[in-house]
Formats: sequence, structure tokens, C-alpha cells
Amino acid sequence: MATETVKLIMGIGKTLTGRLLLFDALRMSFKDVKLKRNTDCELCGDKPSIKELIDYVAFCDVQMPKVKEPELNLAEVEISPQEFRGILDSGKKLTVLDVREPFEWDIAHIPPARLTPLSQFDNFIAELNPEEDIYLYCYKGKRSITALKKLKAKGFTKLKSVAGGIDRYAQEVDPDMPRY
Amino acid sequence: MDIQLTNDEIGRYSRHLTLPQVGMAGQKKMKAARVLLIGAGGLGSPLGLYLGAAGIGHLGIMDHDTVDVSNLHRQVAHGTKDAGRPKVESIKDTITNINPLIEVTTYQERLTRDNALRIFQDYDVIVDGSDNFATRYLTNDAAFFAQKPLVYGSIFMFEGQITVFHPHGGGPCYRCLYSSPPPAALVPS
Ligand SMILES: [Zn+2]
Repeated sequence: MATETVKLIMGIGKTLTGRLLLFDALRMSFKDVKLKRNTDCELCGDKPSIKELIDYVAFCDVQMPKVKEPELNLAEVEISPQEFRGILDSGKKLTVLDVREPFEWDIAHIPPARLTPLSQFDNFIAELNPEEDIYLYCYKGKRSITALKKLKAKGFTKLKSVAGGIDRYAQEVDPDMPRY
Repeated sequence: MDIQLTNDEIGRYSRHLTLPQVGMAGQKKMKAARVLLIGAGGLGSPLGLYLGAAGIGHLGIMDHDTVDVSNLHRQVAHGTKDAGRPKVESIKDTITNINPLIEVTTYQERLTRDNALRIFQDYDVIVDGSDNFATRYLTNDAAFFAQKPLVYGSIFMFEGQITVFHPHGGGPCYRCLYSSPPPAALVPS
């Protein structure tokens, strides 16, 4: 990118205007693809519809498919890291699910959790016992809510999510735990 | 062009001056140039260091964020003791340390539809080192309206893309490639 900038300024060589350079650091391969101006482009095409700057936050957000989800009262399903620790220490029979990905689990996790990554969560649901209390956590408390909603939709009721995830747990309950 | 190089500059850039494709004429163009860098993060850090070291006369750098320890493994313009400082201040110090002969202007703010065109018009080339789609589309559109070439790059995990968007110079723009952003749910954070 720096080289392209310098070439543009000095007017030397052949810049990447009209070409996209792709590289893959794992394969260490480079590819150079021709690009053409799209005559239907809303900005630079022949009949542009964008004539001035727009609201970009809305533009990038509006693309999100609006799926109607059952309302969930967070106050009812979230527990603080301290409450969570208290329940673990009480010796009560329960299931703890860590819905983060394996590379995150390898950095740190909270026993007796088992790893059920959100990306494959549907595959684990059949193995879970709806009679048992299920506690979910993730990194910051968002993915665990997504997983909790999936279980709720399958009829599970005894569900709790650790607010703020393992990151808040590390700060407030276990300062020796590595944060990432 | 009546820009002259000082003796200090001639000494510093001598390995450029002896390249026939650059020479005094090229280095003077570099000194006269004004480049705006959007973002002082993973892409912006090495870009700022290289452009500053190479002698771009005026470098503008925009980033609203502060340095976090988790940035340091890739955002090489910042040091451990810079944690908590605004990224634009930290990168300016690093660049000035490498090359005190150039001017660096910092913008510790987000790029918005209200400030973009005003800031872009002061520069010759815009370089996009941003990390989110809203800024990427805004940068593309503002560079188009300001008629400035846009050097674009992005990295995701181990893969990268680089090109120059310059519809006024005969190429496409970012929207020609990606007419709409991916659904927010699919955007990796
Ligand atoms: Zn276009």
C-alpha cells in the first residue's frame, strides 16, 4: 500500500488501479485480478443514485437481516460472575457450557465447563438434559445469550448466562486468569 | 515546481535520489505531497512508518482510538509504554523519531460525513487503513466526490487485498466490487 501511494505521487510504474492484488499468507500465494468499473455502480456508474455522502452507520446496519426473535428479559437469565462462582462452589449438580471456540478455550476456561462452541452448538443440544440447571458463558456474554435462546426455543427452561462472560469473570472473580 | 530539497534531505534520501525512476524530481514530488492515512492500527502503523520514512512531505493521520496492549503485536507504530495514549499521538512520535523532516497532522476523531470532504480536499492521496465497513464506504464515497485516488487494503486472518480505487483515473471504486456491506451478523469482530 505504501509503494502504491508513492507510485501515485511520483507518477511512476503501473499502479494497482483496475487490478486487485490478493494474497494468502498461509499458502504464501499472490493473485492479481482485473477489475473494471461497474457501469451500474450506484456511486461511479453511468446513472449514479448516490450524489452526496449518506448515513454510513445506518447503511451498514440496515443490511442486517431483521429476524424477529422472542423477547428475552436479560435480568431474568443473566447472573453475575460472583453469583456464578457461588453456585459452582455450592456443589450443586449442574451443567456448564462454554460456547466459545476451541482456540479461546485453550487460553482459559472455567471448570467444570464443557466446550460446546456456538458455531456447532446445534449438534450438542441433543446431549443436554433439560431437567438439569444449565449455565452458559462465552467471552463477553453475547454468544452465551444466543446459545441460551437456542435452548429456550427447544423448550429448555433452567437456563442462566454469565453476564460479561469469562472476561468479566477474570476481572472480578479470578484475577490470575489470563485475559485476551 | 519550486520545491527544493535541503542538504539534510538530500543526505537522508540519497538512496532514493540515485534511483533513476525517482531522482531529485521524484523526491521533490514526495516532499510536496500530502497523504491522508485513515486509521493508525494494523495497516496504518506500518503505512505511516514507511510513508513518513520515505519522505512524504505532509502526512495526515486520523484515528479516534487509544492504544491497547492487545494492539501491540501487530500495530507496530505503538510501544508498550504507549498503552492508553491516543494512537495518533503515539504514531506521530514514532514517525517523527524516524524522520523529523516531515510534517505530521493528527486528527483524533472519527471520519464522518460531516468532516470527510473538508479534510479530504486538503490531501492528494487517501490511504484506507480502516477496520470497519461504515468507514470503508464513507472513505470510498468521499474520495470519489473529492476526486482523490484511494489506496485500499484489507486483511482478514491470513488473507489480504490491495488495490487503488480511482474512478476519475480510469478504475473502479469500492462499490463497484461490493455494492453493499455483508450482513452485520457475518462481520467478524
Ligand atoms: Zn463504483
